[in-house]
Amino acid sequence: MRLRRTGGLRPGRLWAARRVWLLALRDLRLEVRDRFGLLSVSAFLGVMLFVMALALGPDEGPLRRAAPGVLWVALAFMSTLLSTRAFALEVEDGTLEDLLLTPGGKEWIYLGKLLFQMLLLLPMGLLALLVVGGLFYLPLERGFALFLTLGLGMLGYASVATFYAGLLSRLRGREVLLPLLLFSLVVPVVLAAVRATVGLLEGLPGDEVAGWWQLLWVFDVVYLTASTLLFPLVMEG
Amino acid sequence: MLKTESPERPDALTWALLALGVLLLPVGLYLALAAPPDVNQGYLVRIMYLHVPGAWLGYLAFFVTFLYSLLYLFRQDPRYDRLARASAEIGLVFLGLALVTGMLWARPTWGVYWTWEPRLTTTAILFAVYVGYFLLRGAIEDPELRAKAAAAVGVLGFINVPISYMSVKWWRSLHQTQSIDLTTGKVHMAPEMLQALLFNLLVFTLLYLGLVRFRGFLAALEERKEEA
Repeated sequence: MRLRRTGGLRPGRLWAARRVWLLALRDLRLEVRDRFGLLSVSAFLGVMLFVMALALGPDEGPLRRAAPGVLWVALAFMSTLLSTRAFALEVEDGTLEDLLLTPGGKEWIYLGKLLFQMLLLLPMGLLALLVVGGLFYLPLERGFALFLTLGLGMLGYASVATFYAGLLSRLRGREVLLPLLLFSLVVPVVLAAVRATVGLLEGLPGDEVAGWWQLLWVFDVVYLTASTLLFPLVMEG
Repeated sequence: MLKTESPERPDALTWALLALGVLLLPVGLYLALAAPPDVNQGYLVRIMYLHVPGAWLGYLAFFVTFLYSLLYLFRQDPRYDRLARASAEIGLVFLGLALVTGMLWARPTWGVYWTWEPRLTTTAILFAVYVGYFLLRGAIEDPELRAKAAAAVGVLGFINVPISYMSVKWWRSLHQTQSIDLTTGKVHMAPEMLQALLFNLLVFTLLYLGLVRFRGFLAALEERKEEA
């Protein structure tokens, strides 16, 4: 299924925004129809959390203490898996070249894929949060703050993951290279997200957690900008 | 630091830097051993003369890789990629040296080989990033794509350094159980020690410059052979 051309191809910011949205929607539609991807990632998430709960339990105390770390490790692995899917179908069907040949810069491809990732990751993140809440005895109050932490963390993670997934999409050995390259860069995200989650769950006031949100925000802005600027340069040829 | 087209042998500046570095190395060693032992650590402090220059070079080298990666992304000149790669290679060796000497130093002084101190953790992350840099280079056969991909990692990896450092620092400051601080500041430096350290820093930097130029020259030869 190809990206539908919607009239002329005028460059310009507004037009690029529309392309971003269309690309994300197309990918989302494909992914939801396909179901294989979403189901297998959900299953992976469930099994991983279950095994970790078994490994760390059964006492409530240790489980509760370990929960934020477990949550974010699971989210990290899940994001890595999902990010490969952002470009996998394109490469399989040979449509990546079509996207790259569309006139008017390539940043929108990256942003479209990123938006697609976020549209998948946010619901999956919520699911993970619920499962962790259940298995690890986590009190899930302050839902909005937790969701904000999820959003900021996932955005940081996905911005780098999508970039690398695109970069590596046409290489063999990408399954191993992607986690390797990714994990060394996203340490700040994992640290800050876990700390923010711990703070929220321990009932710390918003100001103290806000420091970690700030760090996440800085990471997100820096890496989103850098990846958007670098993406066209590395996808040529 | 750019070389002329199709060099047949390293140029004079490269030889000069290497020669100077190699000749001054024993002098640096002598100064390091002649400097007085530390008040607290005794003779253990002497590993500092190897450890600090190694760490300094590692960070300098990756900064240079960052600069040349940026230059490559803007100009697409293969010389920039060769130099970025040469600098990363040397940086990796010296950073590895710094990590190992740091661990050897830590064991007798702190009692542990490793601790989650901001500087150490950031250095380990940086090391991992550049191992990834070389693995990525190894996985791509097309020279242009390889250079671009490596340049992207070089840029993204380096801008990670300040962010990583700050995040680990905040992370650590929550748990003030260990207030160990690996820093030359804790070592009360007699003037001879400071001089020896600075001298060794200079010698290592000269060696670095010479080695990067030399490695860049080798890379140019390799490329010529590949094209032929």
